Amino acid sequence: MKQLSLVGRVTVLATAVAIGVGVMFVAALLAILSLRSAENQEKKSAATTVATLRVENLSVDVGSAVRGYALSRDQRFKDLYNSARIRVPSALDDLDKAVAGDAVQSRRAAEARDQMDSYIADYAGPVIQISKYFPEAARGQAANRESRRRATDIRTTLNKITALESKRSASRSAHVHEVTRGAIIVGAGALALSAALVLLFGAWVARGVARPVRETTKAASQVAAGDFGVRLDEHAAGEVAALVSGFNSMARSLDSGRREVLAQNQQLRESEQHKRDLISMVSHELRTPLASVLGFTTLLLERDFAPDEQRRYLEIVDTQARRLAALAGDFLDVQLLEGGAMRLERAPVDLIELTNEQTRLFFSHLDTHHLVLELPDEAVVIDGDRDRLAQVIGNLLSNAIKYSPAGGTVRVHVELEGDRAVLMVNDQGMGIAEDDRERVFEKFFRSSEASARISGTGLGLAVAREIVETHGGEIRVQSEPGSGSTFWIELPLKRTAATAAR
Amino acid sequence: MTTAARPRILVVEDEQPLRELVVVTLSDEFDCDQVADGEAALERLREAPPRLVVLDSMLPGRSGIDVLREMRADPNLRDVPVLMLSAWQSSEDVDGAMDAGADSFLGKPFRVEELVSIAHELVESSQ
Repeated sequence: MKQLSLVGRVTVLATAVAIGVGVMFVAALLAILSLRSAENQEKKSAATTVATLRVENLSVDVGSAVRGYALSRDQRFKDLYNSARIRVPSALDDLDKAVAGDAVQSRRAAEARDQMDSYIADYAGPVIQISKYFPEAARGQAANRESRRRATDIRTTLNKITALESKRSASRSAHVHEVTRGAIIVGAGALALSAALVLLFGAWVARGVARPVRETTKAASQVAAGDFGVRLDEHAAGEVAALVSGFNSMARSLDSGRREVLAQNQQLRESEQHKRDLISMVSHELRTPLASVLGFTTLLLERDFAPDEQRRYLEIVDTQARRLAALAGDFLDVQLLEGGAMRLERAPVDLIELTNEQTRLFFSHLDTHHLVLELPDEAVVIDGDRDRLAQVIGNLLSNAIKYSPAGGTVRVHVELEGDRAVLMVNDQGMGIAEDDRERVFEKFFRSSEASARISGTGLGLAVAREIVETHGGEIRVQSEPGSGSTFWIELPLKRTAATAAR
Repeated sequence: MTTAARPRILVVEDEQPLRELVVVTLSDEFDCDQVADGEAALERLREAPPRLVVLDSMLPGRSGIDVLREMRADPNLRDVPVLMLSAWQSSEDVDGAMDAGADSFLGKPFRVEELVSIAHELVESSQ
């Protein structure tokens, strides 16, 4: 999973905190609005109560004035009555205004107005009028049950109005209390949530930044100490993941650079070693014939020998000097192989004649090995370089003798196969291990078996292959370790009238 | 000095010209016997231990070092001095030969006078 980038993390946190603060603000706003509406209703409620009490006071004043006037006919009660009566309509209007928009209270106010009007019209007015002329009747009227009932009805109606207002006020107060408490809880909750988010974000950043940075620092010092194999876990937040992956690719590239340098070093070392081996091999190969040449020369110069002995030793010197010359030739051939272009001086070559010549050269004075020569009756003519082909056959014969024990048989077989000549040299020698069979044709290659016991340059077969292949032919080997090897060369025949007719 | 009284030396060398050189060089004073490989050398040594063996380090079949080790393991041949001849003459080659029990080491090509004087020295020390 790709982790959220640092910018992403900060955005998420800012959004969450903003939502928390917003919730807090909305809660406060709702609480304020609720309080303001409650305050308004409370004002209206108070106004209703005041208006109601005024109406009630007036009704009491009217009742008291009427009763007082009926009893005493005192002008002051009549004045009180008149002043109260005059104020009744405006007080009722005030009450109507106070309860406007409130169906229940409006109905009650209207009822109170009716009761008030009828109280004044049916009771208070007539009692005042008759008091002047029939004081007794008026007194009776003022004290009767009907009048008290009416006054009580008015108070009951007005009390209903004030009771409802007071009940409403209590419920409003409870509501305000609840809203305030709710707002405090929501606000505190949002605050706590925001604080928790800030703390969590701190931990998140620490996890997403601090740890990878610490690990990168540690890995960087490991790299500085030479450990290029160190890799970091790339599972981290966006920008940090980029840092970590950048670090990893740097470490990888350092690692592969170092490997390359090490490989080059190794190659250089191997090539140095190869050069040293070569110089050592060349000097070794030169030392043996040189020892004979120098030794016999010293003996011939310092001692007296019979003429036939002198001649024999000179012959050895001659042979060994030629061997040195041949070695020098081999090394020159190697340069030719490395140059890639071997020049052939082609002419018709009789392979049978050449084979006879080479076997005679190698076997006529040899008493350690036995030669079996199998040649076809017909002529085998190749368009090739006689000296080079002689070199190939010589190399094969010399190897067959060199790598097989005294008393062994070397079989040389020549035959025609279609338009190709095949020459085979078989020995009963040490053989070649399977792994080494292709490598024997590589220049300077010598099997560990051979190099431990038998001197050689590792050039003969490489040169032979180059010569054979330049002639358009092929060279192959088959071998059984411990019981002998067979080398074949196949060369294209020269196209003559006879071969063309075949 | 009669022929029978001359110290007998065995020359082990697979390169025929070089073998002949050693034999010709030493036959003035020593009675030289010669073989071309390690097997023949051990056979000849067991028939009659010589006063000195001139041994080529690189031989077909059993190498000179192998022959030397067998000699040093054989009570009859343990004390026969060996002069090792070798075309390989790095310090490891010399140390290898000396560790295997050679008494002296001569690199090819060598001066014939040196061959003679070392042969003398070894033959006399073995008396």
